[in-house]
Amino acid sequence: MADSQDTRGRIRRLWDWFWSPIPVLSVGFTLIAGFLAGILFWGGFHWTLELTNTEEFCTSCHSMETNLGEYRETIHYNNHSGVRAICSDCHVPHEWNHKIKAKVMAVKDVYHELVGTISTTEKYEAHRLSMAAAVWKKMKASDSRECRNCHNFDYMDFTIQEARAASEHQRAIDNGMTCIDCHQGIAHNLPPGYLEEYQKVTETLSAQSVMPPEKHAAAGDDIRAFLDNASD
Amino acid sequence: MLDILGTIGGNVLSLPGILGLALGMMTRRLWLGALMGGVIGVIETLIFAGWRFSNVEATELVIAIIVGVCAGSLGTAIRLKGATV
Repeated sequence: MADSQDTRGRIRRLWDWFWSPIPVLSVGFTLIAGFLAGILFWGGFHWTLELTNTEEFCTSCHSMETNLGEYRETIHYNNHSGVRAICSDCHVPHEWNHKIKAKVMAVKDVYHELVGTISTTEKYEAHRLSMAAAVWKKMKASDSRECRNCHNFDYMDFTIQEARAASEHQRAIDNGMTCIDCHQGIAHNLPPGYLEEYQKVTETLSAQSVMPPEKHAAAGDDIRAFLDNASD
Repeated sequence: MLDILGTIGGNVLSLPGILGLALGMMTRRLWLGALMGGVIGVIETLIFAGWRFSNVEATELVIAIIVGVCAGSLGTAIRLKGATV
């Protein structure tokens, strides 16, 4: 009878129902149920997010076949130690905030897959330099944060590195350089003109900020400070 | 633009968005909810900058504070609308 006089729309009734008190549930029940629901939701959310970090997910798009093939020829795929760095290890930050930001930005990849921006070899090659430059810019700006999830100057024993590598790593520490300054093309082929493009990336970043892009160079800083003290 | 959208998304699903909302739900005073959310925005930016002010990027800090303030205010609105205490 009361329902027949209710002139509210469906959405309005739903809205009022949502905000009305529940007389049948205790505070404890509501809290425990909310807590359990929160765990289930957050666990499910995080689990789903981690699924998007798998190599299978990353390479499930047709346009990723080219760079997958290139990556499979590199030391990050097969090596003597049996440790493998997959796509997400280099392209997805570990820190939550940066990770979510990367995931949101990756929505553009879905769009470009749908419109076929790099769907053919010719298109891929035409965009290779700009795609590489975008990644270099991110890596340079973050002081190669994702590289440093595994590699760290602090953990390097220069005495068991090749002489040239040890010398270059020492130079990197001395000059406050970051991994991507030298290691472009570590997992994918380099396009022609990449050195000039990388130069542009560094110049653009320097122009944008007076602060040098070495936010996470704490390891290098420590070693440099030690060497300075030792020489003093 | 994409960078800004990503930063906003990251903050909504991170401390400013979630803890800001939760803290906002603990008060009926709108200014307090917004303030607590904004403070969480500052704290979160500092956490990700390794507690070094020199590493804080102005854009990220501003976005974190705005998201925190919005989340805190929303939390207070939820409290006002959905609770009698």
